[in-house]
Amino acid sequence: MIFLENIISIFSEHGIAFLKASWMTIAITAISLLFAMVIGLIFAGFKISTSKILNWIADIYIGIIRGTPLIVQIMFLYYGLANIVNLDSFTAGALALGVHTGAYIAEIFRGAVQSIDRGQMEAARSLGMPYSLAMRRIIFPQAFKRAIPSLANQFIIGLKDSSLVAYIAVTDLYNTALSVQGENYMPFETYFVVGVYYLIIVLIFTWVANRIEKKMDVSKPKEGIIV
Amino acid sequence: MIKISNLSKSFGKLEVLKNINLSVDEKEVVVLIGASGSGKSTLLRCLNFLEVAERGDIIIDSEKTDLAKTNLNKVREKVGMVFQHFNLFPHKTVIENITEAPIFVRKETKEAASSKAMALLKKVGLEDKANYYPEQLSGGQKQRVAIARALAMEPKVMLFDEPTSALDPELVGEVLQVMKDLARDGMTMVIVTHEMGFAKEVADRVIMLADGNIIEEGHPNDIFVNPIHERTKRFLNQIL
Ligand SMILES: Nc1ncnc2c1ncn2[C@@H]1O[C@H](COP(=O)(O)OP(=O)(O)OP(=O)(O)O)[C@@H](O)[C@H]1O
Ligand SMILES: [Mg+2]
Repeated sequence: MIFLENIISIFSEHGIAFLKASWMTIAITAISLLFAMVIGLIFAGFKISTSKILNWIADIYIGIIRGTPLIVQIMFLYYGLANIVNLDSFTAGALALGVHTGAYIAEIFRGAVQSIDRGQMEAARSLGMPYSLAMRRIIFPQAFKRAIPSLANQFIIGLKDSSLVAYIAVTDLYNTALSVQGENYMPFETYFVVGVYYLIIVLIFTWVANRIEKKMDVSKPKEGIIV
Repeated sequence: MIKISNLSKSFGKLEVLKNINLSVDEKEVVVLIGASGSGKSTLLRCLNFLEVAERGDIIIDSEKTDLAKTNLNKVREKVGMVFQHFNLFPHKTVIENITEAPIFVRKETKEAASSKAMALLKKVGLEDKANYYPEQLSGGQKQRVAIARALAMEPKVMLFDEPTSALDPELVGEVLQVMKDLARDGMTMVIVTHEMGFAKEVADRVIMLADGNIIEEGHPNDIFVNPIHERTKRFLNQIL
C-alpha cells in the first residue's frame, strides 16, 4: 500500500498547489474557448458564404490548423509573435489554444447550420425576412442546439489540450505535475494525482453541459399547459 | 394582382418553365394542376422569388420586379406561401411562429402582433394551441398554423404548394376548410393541389401545366368535364 501512502502524501503536500494550477488550467481553457467560439462563428460564416474568396480563406485556416500539431502551433505563436509583440506565456497560450480550437468549432457550426432543413430558410425568406435576420433568428438557434453535444466534446478536448501550454511555462496542472515529480521522484503517483484533477474538472463540465442541453430541449409546452 | 409574362426558368440544361404567360385577378382563386415534374412548384416559387427566372417579367400588386433594383423582401411580404411540409419553426411556439415576422420584419409591437396572431389562430380553429410547439401538433394543425403565419404578414396573395399532400387523409378536410374560408373572404390565391373536389368547388380558374407550358386553362366546370387537350384528359383520368 505504498502507492496509496504516496498518493496521500502528494495530496497533503501539493494539494493546494494543484488546486491553484487547476484554476490556471480552467482560466486558460475558458478564455481560449471564448476566443475559439468567436473565431469559429466567423469562419463558419466564411465557409457558408457564397463568396469564393471567403470560402478559400476559411479552407486555408482550417487546413493549416488540422494539418499541424498543436504543440507546433503553440511554439510558433509563442516564439513567432515574441518577435513582434511582447506576449506573456498565458496570453500566447490562450491565443494558440483559441486559434486551434476555433478551426474545429468553425466546422461544427458549419455542419450544424447545413444540417438544418432548407425549408426553414425558405419559410423565413417567404415571410419577408432578410437573409441575415433569418440566419440569426431561425437557422442559427436551431443549429446551435444541434451543435451542443459536439461543442461540449470539443470543449473537453480543449481542456485536455491545454496541458501543452506547460511547455511555454504556464503554471497549469500539467506543469505543476512536471515540477512536483521532479522534486519527489514519484512520477507514477504524481501523474495519477494530476489525472484525477483533470478527470474531476471534465466530469463537472460534462454535468453542466448535460444540464444546458436538457434546458434547451424545447419539447414541453410553455406555461405549464398539459398536452 | 399578378401578371407574369414570358417567364422562363431552367435548372442547368433542363428547361422547367417555357415562356409562361399568366394573369391572376384580385380575389381570384387559381388552381394549378399537372403531372409530377411539370413545373408547378417552380412556377409558384418564381412568384415569390425563391427561384429566380432567367427571363420574363413578374408584376405583383402593380409593381414590376426588377432584380437589380427591387427589394425582394418587400415583395415577399406581399406574397404569403404555404409549403407541403409546413416548415414551421420547431424552436418557436405556435404563437411565436406567427408573430416572428410581424415583429421583426413589419416592426409591429409584441402586443399588436400577439393579438393579431390570436385572432388568426381563432380563425383557423387553434386558439387553444398558442403555446404549443409544432412537434406537439398533428399535420393538419401544423398546416393551419402555417397558413396563419403567412396571413399574419397581411399578404396580397397566398401561394399554396400541395398543402394537403403530406397529410393523413382524415386531416385533409380541416386544412381545405380553412382555405375555403380564405377564398370566401376574398383572398387572391394560387394553389397547386391534387384535390380535384376542392378545385371544383373553390377555383375560379384551373390551369393545366405540362412540360413547363400552360396547355389548357378554364373554369373548373369546363376543364374537368370537357378537357380539350389529350394530356389533360389523361392526367384527370389518372387522378380522379
Ligand atoms: N433546385 C432544382 N435543381 C434542379 N432541378 C430542379 C430543381 N427544382 C426542380 N427541379 C426540376 O424541375 C422540374 C420541375 O420541378 P417542379 O418541382 O416544379 O415540379 P412539380 O410540377 O412541382 O412536380 P411535383 O408534382 O412532383 O411537385 C423537375 O424535373 C425537377 O426535377
Ligand atoms: Mg411540386
